[in-house]
Amino acid sequence: MLPRFATLLAGLGLTGLAQAAATHYPLTIDNCGKPQTFVQAPQRAVTIGQASTEMFYALGLGDRLAGTSLWFNNVLPEYQAQNAKVPRLADNEPSFEAVVGKRPQLVTVQFEWMVGAQGAVATREQFDELNIPTYLLPSDCEGKDNLVGADGTRLQAFQVDSIYKSISQLAEIFDVQARGSALNAELKGRLDSARAQLAGKDLSTTSALFWFSSADLGIAPYVAGRQGVADFMLRTLGVRNVVTSSEEWPTVGWETLAKANPTWLIIARMDRRRYPADDYQKKLAFLHSDPVTRNMEAVQRNRIIILDADAMQAGIRLFSGVQTLSAAFASGNAGQ
Amino acid sequence: MLRLSCAVAMALAALLLAVLAGTAIGESDLAPVVVAQVLANQLWQAGYPVDPIDAGIVWNYRLTRTLVAAACGAGLATCGVVLQALLRNPLAEPYLLGLSAGASTGAVLVGLLGFGSLALSMSAGAFLGALAAFALVLVLARTAGGGSGNAQVILAGIAGSQLFNALTALLITMSATAEQARGILFWLLGNLSGVRWPSVWLAVPVALSGLLVCLWHRRTLDAFTFGADSAASLGIPVRRTQLLLISCAALVTAVMVSIVGAIGFVGLVIPHALRLLLGPGHSRLLPASALGGALFLIAADILSRILIPGQVIPVGVVTALIGAPVFALILVSRRGRP
Repeated sequence: MLPRFATLLAGLGLTGLAQAAATHYPLTIDNCGKPQTFVQAPQRAVTIGQASTEMFYALGLGDRLAGTSLWFNNVLPEYQAQNAKVPRLADNEPSFEAVVGKRPQLVTVQFEWMVGAQGAVATREQFDELNIPTYLLPSDCEGKDNLVGADGTRLQAFQVDSIYKSISQLAEIFDVQARGSALNAELKGRLDSARAQLAGKDLSTTSALFWFSSADLGIAPYVAGRQGVADFMLRTLGVRNVVTSSEEWPTVGWETLAKANPTWLIIARMDRRRYPADDYQKKLAFLHSDPVTRNMEAVQRNRIIILDADAMQAGIRLFSGVQTLSAAFASGNAGQ
Repeated sequence: MLRLSCAVAMALAALLLAVLAGTAIGESDLAPVVVAQVLANQLWQAGYPVDPIDAGIVWNYRLTRTLVAAACGAGLATCGVVLQALLRNPLAEPYLLGLSAGASTGAVLVGLLGFGSLALSMSAGAFLGALAAFALVLVLARTAGGGSGNAQVILAGIAGSQLFNALTALLITMSATAEQARGILFWLLGNLSGVRWPSVWLAVPVALSGLLVCLWHRRTLDAFTFGADSAASLGIPVRRTQLLLISCAALVTAVMVSIVGAIGFVGLVIPHALRLLLGPGHSRLLPASALGGALFLIAADILSRILIPGQVIPVGVVTALIGAPVFALILVSRRGRP
């Protein structure tokens, strides 16, 4: 673990304390169109969504968590110690009562479809009635309409600033602003170093395709469209996404994808086993055996990058994902 | 006799044209020349130099999905005709017997329990699930209905569908890792994009045998249109025939569901449309419905590939989108006629 925490402490010791202002309560912040007021730093919080949970751990706020939920896979190894002390309310979406039963002073939510106008857990108003503030990660509400389309529709491209914003706002709510700015500085530094790795390399004709999964092997796969996090990663590095749909995860036929002939294929690795194609090894086997995809340039030259699915979501994991991609693009081989 | 061979020739010509169209039109712009060259290479070893990706697209993607679309359309429409006649219910359709619900449970179970490693594919799971649901519905209908009991079959089908849909939802909710996306069971809307040659070798013979079995019983089906009692008075062993034909329809539907998912509308509407146009005689209605179903599904599949450039719409959405207005048109234009 400790490299990140060490950086963080270094930040705290050297510059953080000098710069960071203390939070003045009562604090009111505007979150996804609803003002939320905090009379003190919450002592007990519940998270719905792994990305928000891991932000707490990255800020060293694990001791303030009274419960976590909506897990997509194992917690990052560096946060295992913090996570072991926090009860897990549910693997999937928690029930409203399970959340409320923890008497939380804050509920942090990764997706608006969990807590929002059509929330699977509850609406924000239901929490308002109990005087429980809710904090939705801005990455899921700013520039995004979650009432349109299966996974919501991004009205504008994903902005990495929304991640920095959630970190600094959470830091402000918990009065740990120094840790927030140190974490943000570290994350920005990682993007810069990923870009620097590709400096001077001509990527104008380089293109890529993100394959998340497929409902069955061989059928039109879920791929990353424009506007989402995956596309942001490519844009950051100056590589073109061959998929032009503005949906976040559209399904596009292999005929179209094979004709687009991307320079790189990026396939998702995940713990989920809902569909056969969730297994990245099944994806690889398909790519090498299908009569069309096996002729794609990226397959023949073995330019297939295996990337954790969580790096393609709006959370702190996307920064290591960008670094994985830039290493592959820089060296010209996929690495795994 | 001459009229019959003439009709058969025209039907085959229409089918061939539709298959060619399905092979030539697709997501990407391939020149007709390239398509023709690929077909010539594969069929007569013509040896034209073509890009291997183009060749794969034409021969392994487009041709196979068009052939399977034809087989599926024909199979589902045939099943629709048979069920509507046997149950004497205009709402009868292939998925009535709980098959699509059972298929989704089976497919989800295979995915969640990781049977995938035991070489049990999602399709096999879907097939077994469909058969399990059908068996349950059959037992329920038999236990509930004393006589021929059409209503019992239909109600048992509804109960079975609800039960298996609930099971699917339960399995998904209980699965250990959450979904990052909401897109659930895309597969159930019907999807032809995963079709390759092995599916063709399964779907085409099954559709043809289903059609032949039903054609063999065309007179029985005619008798059933006037009710089980009149069929019995003609000396037809009612329960045995009913069981045989329903099972045949269920088997064909289960195979189709396991290959392409649940494509709605074809099995419901094509039989009605052709009955309105040709009358209720099954010696004409059965082959005409099979042909109509095949052509309709090929056309729907072509549309699903080109309506939104760069993206494929689930074919079930297209069948309902074009099927509903076309059917309304036929209903209105035949108003007042028997």
